[in-house]
Amino acid sequence: MSGGLPKALPSTGPHSLRDMPHPLAGSSSEEAVGGDSTPSPDLLTARSFGDKDLILPNGGTPAGTSSPASSSSLLNRLQLDDDIDGETRDLFVTVDDPKKHVCTMETYITYRITTKSTRVEFDLPEYSVRRRYQDFDWLRSKLEESQPTHLIPPLPEKFVVKGVVDRFSEEFVETRRKALDKFLKRITDHPVLSFNEHFNVFLTAKDLNAYKKQGMALLSRVGESVKHVTGGYKLRSRPLEFAAIGEYLDTFALKLGTIDRIAQRIIKEEIEYLVELREYGPVYSTWSALEGELAEPLEGVSACIGNCSTALEELTDDMTEDFLPVLREYILYSDSMKVPSDVEKCQDRMECFNADLKADMERWQNNKRQDFRQLLMGMADKNIQYYEKCLMAWESIIPLLQEKQEAK
Amino acid sequence: MEQAAPDLERPLQPAPLEPLGHPDAGPEAAVGEEAEGAPDEEGPGDRTMTENNFCLKKIEISVSEAEKRTGRNAMNMQETYTAYLVETRSVEHIDGPSVLTDSLWRRYSEFELLRNYLLVYYPHIVVPPLPEKRAEFVWHKLSADNMDPDFVERRRIGLENFLLRVASHPILCRDKIFYLFLTQEGNWKEIVNETGFQLKADSRLKALNATFRVKNPDKRFTELKHYSDELQSVISHLLRVRARVADRLYGVYKVHGNYGRVFSEWSAIEKEMGDGLQSAGHHMDVYASSIDDILEDEEHYADQLKEYLFYAEALRAVCRKHELMQYDLEMAAQDLASKKQQCEELATGTVRTFSLKGMTTKLFGQETPEQRESRIKVLEEQISEGEQQLKAKNLEGREFVKNAWADIERFKEQKNRDLKEALISYAVMQISMCKKGIQVWTNAKECFSKM
Repeated sequence: MSGGLPKALPSTGPHSLRDMPHPLAGSSSEEAVGGDSTPSPDLLTARSFGDKDLILPNGGTPAGTSSPASSSSLLNRLQLDDDIDGETRDLFVTVDDPKKHVCTMETYITYRITTKSTRVEFDLPEYSVRRRYQDFDWLRSKLEESQPTHLIPPLPEKFVVKGVVDRFSEEFVETRRKALDKFLKRITDHPVLSFNEHFNVFLTAKDLNAYKKQGMALLSRVGESVKHVTGGYKLRSRPLEFAAIGEYLDTFALKLGTIDRIAQRIIKEEIEYLVELREYGPVYSTWSALEGELAEPLEGVSACIGNCSTALEELTDDMTEDFLPVLREYILYSDSMKVPSDVEKCQDRMECFNADLKADMERWQNNKRQDFRQLLMGMADKNIQYYEKCLMAWESIIPLLQEKQEAK
Repeated sequence: MEQAAPDLERPLQPAPLEPLGHPDAGPEAAVGEEAEGAPDEEGPGDRTMTENNFCLKKIEISVSEAEKRTGRNAMNMQETYTAYLVETRSVEHIDGPSVLTDSLWRRYSEFELLRNYLLVYYPHIVVPPLPEKRAEFVWHKLSADNMDPDFVERRRIGLENFLLRVASHPILCRDKIFYLFLTQEGNWKEIVNETGFQLKADSRLKALNATFRVKNPDKRFTELKHYSDELQSVISHLLRVRARVADRLYGVYKVHGNYGRVFSEWSAIEKEMGDGLQSAGHHMDVYASSIDDILEDEEHYADQLKEYLFYAEALRAVCRKHELMQYDLEMAAQDLASKKQQCEELATGTVRTFSLKGMTTKLFGQETPEQRESRIKVLEEQISEGEQQLKAKNLEGREFVKNAWADIERFKEQKNRDLKEALISYAVMQISMCKKGIQVWTNAKECFSKM
């Protein structure tokens, strides 16, 4: 159902995002790929593939909700693992369990970061640490500094307007958790970034603050060495390539924005349609109360319309919860990928920049293709399910309507 | 065809259910039928038909065309109106060929005239309704303009339906005026007006909400009137909400058309995703345009509901006529009783009731025995006449109730049948819409999968 063999990736390293269900979409996109929505507990615990226990809920177990893995996405992972030439995933990171901390100076939220890995870079096979947003922010800037030639995934918005958004509301915390989870997964998937030292510390250190202070000196040295390495190259600037990427990203973001607006508009129209339906159905009931022989048929129609209303509500909820957020996140993501416009400044790193950027862009393009294929197929699926529910409702009352009834 | 002048003096009497030719058939109320005489003459519904053969089996009626006309109206002003072609065919035998026997043009006002006539001459019948005069319950895409071709088309169908209903009614189908409506173009209006039916029409019926205090109402009719009021109310509500639902559904489908455009634009900047996006976009366009046909079909369902909305009015009219009849009866009985009492008092000399004569007698002195005698005689004559009239009214009332109730039963069966059919066809429409939806989205999904 997910579409066959994965493409051989241009760069080395573990798999692309493709072999995982889309992190933000959680369980629903897994369903979209065609699995059934009822989680089978057996699948979640009994099997293991290769050396690893693949049945880590990569979507995490956020506070209060569960995201069961569907059987088909499990199958996907199986397939992919069989196909990748000898390599198996060796790093799994999850963000979950948000907790509120109230201190004298401030109140903030921490998230649990669980890491499982067989890489030599990790001393232990498993880690569990707590991190807050500013730690993620720190990680990102360190990555940008130390890996200037690579695209660093974006973080969710840092500042929230107090009074407009409740920083501690369940909804906000959950949205943020998903975004942070996605952020780490993108780094995990990246063949270069995932081996970054700061990333390693972020995942493992008991006391990150101590490292932050201590690591200053280390970092500046790393930064310099990169500069040193790239300084020696004879570079030819390739502004055209940057321009092309920039232009593409601009148009892409624009189109996504339009799609977002259309999707919102559709949901709005559907909700208004739903409001009318909720008035329409009961009128048949009222009529039914006046009648004798027609009472049952009319009541049947009323119930039928009620069922369709419920199905529609499910559709609009799904689209709002699953479709729109993913779309919006992609808009943010592509915005964050803008290549520095002042190309001149980067002249001395150009060659390195080009190769890494090209590789990252290709990876990004591939992921984007898979992600959107999944997202849009999911949208189609939700609509199909809606119509199937309605079809079933209407088909089931035909015999009721045709029934010969005892006169009065 | 010669028409005998209607007998204005003869009180209206409902047509009995016995078919023509039956030895016990009572006087016909349909004007002109007496003049027809010979039972083997051609007419709608062969006179020699047996009781259970409805007229419709012998003839086919259709309103096949609508045409815009201009002409001069009664005030010699130019006006534009629509004329409808009414064609009648006779069928010799079942599955045999039909032969066009009559073809003429009628406008809406003539249909109205026919119906008003039927309402007066068949007060106990639930007379089939005409399609609406002005477009109501429209959702935004439909026009409320009477000249709009879609409205004209739906009206054409509604008028045909009306004629078919009348033709299939066991009593109405035999009416002479109805027959002439189908067969005689010129002069028909004059003939109808000559029946003087407008004079017979009880003007009190026009005051729909005026209440007549009936002392002994017939419970069945009271309940039926209540039912018809409720039915009108609920169907109106239903039609209003349905129109809003249609509006919203239209919006949902049409907005999806925007996906078509944006997918196309997006596909232009993509390499591998391009084809899948482009073809998915095409399916979104198909989806968006599919709503037009879907909603057009649904209008047919709305029309079926509307017919019964108007039928409810016709049902109510029968109840009202009964109410009035009952009221008149009670008034007549009251009047008779008071006259009897007056007479008795005059005869015995006791004065219990107030009368002007009694007053003047008190004021100006007793009247002479001769005067009293003559007054008693006048009263006795009036009483005798009153008793006869009351007897006739009672008979009329009972006949009315019997015949009305028979037609009401017939109507109930028809209504249950028709509305069940309407609900089934509505469900079928919904099923078709769902299947189309599944098809389009499945196609789109396939395109997305190839991205």
